[in-house]
Amino acid sequence: MAVAALKVQLNALLSNMFATGMVDEQFQQLQSLEEGGTASGFVAEVATLFIEDADRIIADIAALLDQPVVDFDKVDAHVHQLKGSSSSVGAQKVKLACMHFRQFYEAKSKEGCLMALALVRSEFCDVRNKFQTMMQLEQQIEACSPK
Amino acid sequence: MRTDVRRGAAATGRDQFPVGMRVLAVDDDPVCLKVLETLLRRCQYHVTATNQAVIALRMLRENRDMFDLVISDVHMPDMDGFKLLELVGLEMDLPVIMLSVNGETKTVMKGITHGACDYLLKPVRIEELRNIWQHVVRRKFSTRDSVNLDTYEECNKPPSADSDYVFGQVTCGSPDQSGRPSKKRKEYHSEEEDEDEDSSGQDNDDPSAPKRPRVVWSVELHRKFVAALNHLGIDKAVPKRILELMNVEKLTRENVASHLQASHLIYFLVVISRLVPCVFHTCRALSVLQPAARHSEITFAKYRLYLRRLSAVASQQAGIVAALGGRDPFLRMDAFEGLQGYQAFTSPAALSTFSAHGLLNSPRNNQTAVVIQGVATSRSIPTGSSSCTTNPLIGDAAKYHLSLPGNQHGNLGQGLATSLGQAQLQQKWMNEGSGDLSTILSGNSRANGMPRMLPSVTSSPLLPPDLVECTQAKVAIQPSVRAPSASVELLEGAIGASSGPLESRVSQQSALPSSGFSANMLPVHGSFSNNGASFSSNGATRLGDAFSASFRPTNDLTVARGTKVGAGSFGGTIHLSPDTEQKYVSFGSSDSLLDPKLVWSSSQLPSNIGAHYHSMSQRSNNCSIDSSHGGRMFGQTSASASTAAPQTKFDILFSGDTSMARNASESGAQRLQSELSSSTCSFDGLLNSMIKVEKDDAAFGGDDLGCDFYSLGACI
Repeated sequence: MAVAALKVQLNALLSNMFATGMVDEQFQQLQSLEEGGTASGFVAEVATLFIEDADRIIADIAALLDQPVVDFDKVDAHVHQLKGSSSSVGAQKVKLACMHFRQFYEAKSKEGCLMALALVRSEFCDVRNKFQTMMQLEQQIEACSPK
Repeated sequence: MRTDVRRGAAATGRDQFPVGMRVLAVDDDPVCLKVLETLLRRCQYHVTATNQAVIALRMLRENRDMFDLVISDVHMPDMDGFKLLELVGLEMDLPVIMLSVNGETKTVMKGITHGACDYLLKPVRIEELRNIWQHVVRRKFSTRDSVNLDTYEECNKPPSADSDYVFGQVTCGSPDQSGRPSKKRKEYHSEEEDEDEDSSGQDNDDPSAPKRPRVVWSVELHRKFVAALNHLGIDKAVPKRILELMNVEKLTRENVASHLQASHLIYFLVVISRLVPCVFHTCRALSVLQPAARHSEITFAKYRLYLRRLSAVASQQAGIVAALGGRDPFLRMDAFEGLQGYQAFTSPAALSTFSAHGLLNSPRNNQTAVVIQGVATSRSIPTGSSSCTTNPLIGDAAKYHLSLPGNQHGNLGQGLATSLGQAQLQQKWMNEGSGDLSTILSGNSRANGMPRMLPSVTSSPLLPPDLVECTQAKVAIQPSVRAPSASVELLEGAIGASSGPLESRVSQQSALPSSGFSANMLPVHGSFSNNGASFSSNGATRLGDAFSASFRPTNDLTVARGTKVGAGSFGGTIHLSPDTEQKYVSFGSSDSLLDPKLVWSSSQLPSNIGAHYHSMSQRSNNCSIDSSHGGRMFGQTSASASTAAPQTKFDILFSGDTSMARNASESGAQRLQSELSSSTCSFDGLLNSMIKVEKDDAAFGGDDLGCDFYSLGACI
């Protein structure tokens, strides 16, 4: 019974993530990979990787922007990486925030970058929370179900 | 940075390709890499993943044959993806797929120019990955021995390497040899690359940026080089000007100079390497045939001597090159050259000659006479160009027999028909032959020949309308209705033939030939009417502009023809001085077909017949034939171009032999069937010349031809 409720909760969470555009079809594809294959926990693994990686990248960008003289090329590289990483996991909103970011580092606007970074960070926090919730639910289901 | 190498499970059976295809995935982003790896696994590939380009490169170097495909991210901290791409392209013949979140045209273009076989955008979808195996197959099929686009050449890069013609096949062996060396170009390790590996973290996109005196001649750079060369013209291309035109930073005049020199050297080597086997083959063939004429034997001897010299030089040079570059120069060259015509050229040359024999000699002695007669009769025809028709004889021995000596026309017609069946006819031949034949041949002969032709004609979708029109126009002269159709068919057959040899590169090349073909047709006809020295170059080759043939036009007849077969283009120049029954083939080798005595060009031909044609874009080809020596071929057509000169020459020689065993002719025919024969052109020329000889006034050959060909070449 607990398992079923958890599953309902998980599904609600996932559909909410899709509905809000937080994740896109890439994430769906990852899920389908997990379902179809032997790679159980794959989505969780990727999500974990993403969270770690994005967290690091965002911290790096923040550090860069904290410098008196901002190296926008490095910012570019980091944002680029974050974009690749978020698009790979299907974190659509983070990806969009990264694309939004671009115009500011191209304009070499430090304030704009800080703004954009705030947006990225906020989007990332959202998706991180959801991912973490998702993984917790999955773990609970895992813990309950095999009996 | 932490290194992370994950290796997939053991490769599955290779028989169920693409399952188990070994893919190396490189991406610094762990998320992307994980996803990519999983997706690839899902596609049932055998995946090896690493997050460092340096490690990837090391793995590739250590286990050259461990991977079929590389997928690499563009942006990596330790080494730029493009750099990796370039190194992989240089060192091993692996398809590389670039992967990036950045889909800007510029970036994608950069990937392409660096030799990426595909450029995927993140996020990668499994649908795309399911299809990537095609790159592996494609690579294996089309460029087994061919060049990898990015070749890094200090000194080995032939100028002619046009990116479009990269799919050259190497055929250095005997004419029959259709196989290409399966040897892949690899193991080019230079310290430079190792250094690159060590100096990780550097972002070295610019291939031209020389940190060392050595310059990496990337595809891009080489393209610039070629473009500059084209712009300047081969004669005016001095390093300094090239350098200016190239406008590449950090490139020095010395670099350009050495590249230029190397290009020339390689070009020469290529020419030699191609030429030699052909000549040998020809000699062999001749000896087998037991040429009746002593003269011919003498000439052969001369040729042998000459060949020996050539080969000696070639080997020497090869040695030098090898020493310098530490690579197989021939292989290299071939690859670079991507000589499409190469194959056709080498193999067909001998064969074509055979066919020529058959035609000229008409296997049976009686028939020979008959043929000659036929030619004579043909002269009566106003158009006067009927030479082409004779060629076909080779094709069908049976038909040949059938043809009655009494019916000269009949023979000719049959010959044509047979030739058509073989579909080996050259385009030129087709053009001229069809037009002329129709006009020349009497109704009877056609009746026999035509049916054959029809079946033989397979499919020639590419037929240029121009050609058809031309032929028809010619036909119009003749009352016979059938003629036009026949000609058309002929043309078609020729086209098909040309495309055949190309095989792998059929699509590109086949298209090209057809266009050239059509263009050629017209000019050829025109040439017939003209008197004096006529020079014809093949359209396919770009030789056109630079091609200057210096033939001593005898007042008599000079027939020059250039035949080009689409893929294997043939440049045939026939220089005939028919006056005293002696015929000379341009390129220094002159054979008297009709004459009982074989007269070589040396006696009557101008001392030097040198045809120099430069293919601007590709390289300068020099065809300088020493008439005195019997024949000298220096020039080769550029990669795309065919090495027409040599073939023509050979053909002519063979045709010169009047005493050709019938067997020989037959065998020749068979061979021809299997391969394209470029000899037809020469044949035509010979026949024409013969006919002309019969005629006092008639003169064949026109300068127009040359021009037209040029234009064709340019078009191509």
